[in-house]
Amino acid sequence: MKHVKTLKTKKLSTTVKKGGQTSCCTVGNQS
Amino acid sequence: MIHQYRVNGESIVIDVSSGAIHVVDDITYELIEECDKLLQELEKNGSVDSESNKEGSKNPLWSKLDKEAICKTVMNRKEHFTDSKDITIDELFEAYDEIDTLVNNEELFTVDNYESNIIDYSKRPTVVKALCLHIAHDCNLACKYCFAGKGEYNGEKELMSFEVGRKAIDFLVENSKGRRNLEVDFFGGEPLMNFEVVKKIVDYARSIEKENDKNFRFTLTTNGVLLTEEIMDYLNDNMDNVVLSVDGRPEVHDRMRPFPKGAGSYDTVIDRFITFAKKRGQEKYYVRGTFTHNNLDFSKDVLHLANLGFKQISVEPVVAKDTDDYAIREEDLPILFEEYDSLAKEMVRRSGTEDEFNFFHYMIDLEGGPCVYKRLSGCGSGTEYLAVTPTGELFPCHQFVGDNDFYMGNVDSGLENLDLRDEFKSCNVYAKEECNNCFAKFYCSGGCAANAYNYSGSILGTYNIGCKLQKKRVEDAIYIKAATSK
Repeated sequence: MKHVKTLKTKKLSTTVKKGGQTSCCTVGNQS
Repeated sequence: MIHQYRVNGESIVIDVSSGAIHVVDDITYELIEECDKLLQELEKNGSVDSESNKEGSKNPLWSKLDKEAICKTVMNRKEHFTDSKDITIDELFEAYDEIDTLVNNEELFTVDNYESNIIDYSKRPTVVKALCLHIAHDCNLACKYCFAGKGEYNGEKELMSFEVGRKAIDFLVENSKGRRNLEVDFFGGEPLMNFEVVKKIVDYARSIEKENDKNFRFTLTTNGVLLTEEIMDYLNDNMDNVVLSVDGRPEVHDRMRPFPKGAGSYDTVIDRFITFAKKRGQEKYYVRGTFTHNNLDFSKDVLHLANLGFKQISVEPVVAKDTDDYAIREEDLPILFEEYDSLAKEMVRRSGTEDEFNFFHYMIDLEGGPCVYKRLSGCGSGTEYLAVTPTGELFPCHQFVGDNDFYMGNVDSGLENLDLRDEFKSCNVYAKEECNNCFAKFYCSGGCAANAYNYSGSILGTYNIGCKLQKKRVEDAIYIKAATSK
């Protein structure tokens, strides 16, 4: 794309079927 | 929902529900802003077909937008948003087509379909995963911002006995059910004032790991006053993480972290911490500072620590009562926002050089990270994480210790206040209106229950200043990823 660069990210909707530590690491950096 | 912002010359668009992040040029930024405004108007006017977004997350209103009209609207105000006067309507059409591709790929203007999943998830049976052991309600410093009344615990000083520690470990093993990995934090006060009991508890936990199929991971927080090379070696052998309390520049540290008689503690601890961090190979630790109203230029404290060679750094806003003269105030926020932006810019500059370092609040895993259930269901305090006092009482986390309204039981009789546990269990992003409409909800998880309670009187409330700082940190963390991915 010429106008947009999309960063490589995990698509959150894919974790609904597959998903489901405590945090305070921060949740955004949790594995 | 989307969130778009500009920082340090980058124009960034976050698609909240999908997690997609786009770095865009000026005309695309303006087009997205115009589209977002129109989509919100359509939604307010009730144009959403309630059945249309049950499957997939593509925005059902997208097809109602008029490409030509939007591009012409943006064209008419091009003088306001770009240095280039040569933009043509065809370029705007081209940018719009790219936006259209993102929408069709479910990477922009996606709708949030997660709520029903999270409500069900919050009803699940939970296990205890981690304990914070208040191994010492006593301290050899008199830090002015300490939640324990300058380390004095209102005269109720107490050290945890091995017997209480052993029962706490047994409680964790029993209440963790089939979970294997368990975390234990040694906290205080100053844990090294009760170091022999720390060692006995670690030995006991290790001795029962195999028979119970458990793996303990330990953390210890220290102010460094009693730290020796011998203790460092023990901690390096036994602690998965250590937290070293230092606020930054000497005068900043000494102002808030004096000995009881008033002398500063910076010179006592700093060389020990430098040695300790080297011995740990510059990993699995944090130097952890607190900034207050007295040092709003906290980025200088972060860089002071980085320039001393520390690679894992966290400097965080103080948690204080409004009446404390060092509390962060609403009017401090513009200065703090500039500080966060400035720090992010410096971290980008240092990226890839030997001077780079990690900053706790900017650590964000865009390609991995947990599932949406975890992202939306809170930190785990009161359900998966509990604090244990020196006498064995249980509280939702270390910030609630001593508040009898939050007493949950003890290590002898176990959890008694199940209603309170269920109240914490219901803490999720959708239970808080402010969070539900916040772009940062998937990176923040609803914020700190203790801060919310102290600020609003309810664990389901929010802490306004904390929220604003958190949103800024998320913006800057994503900016760093964008700027360093080129």
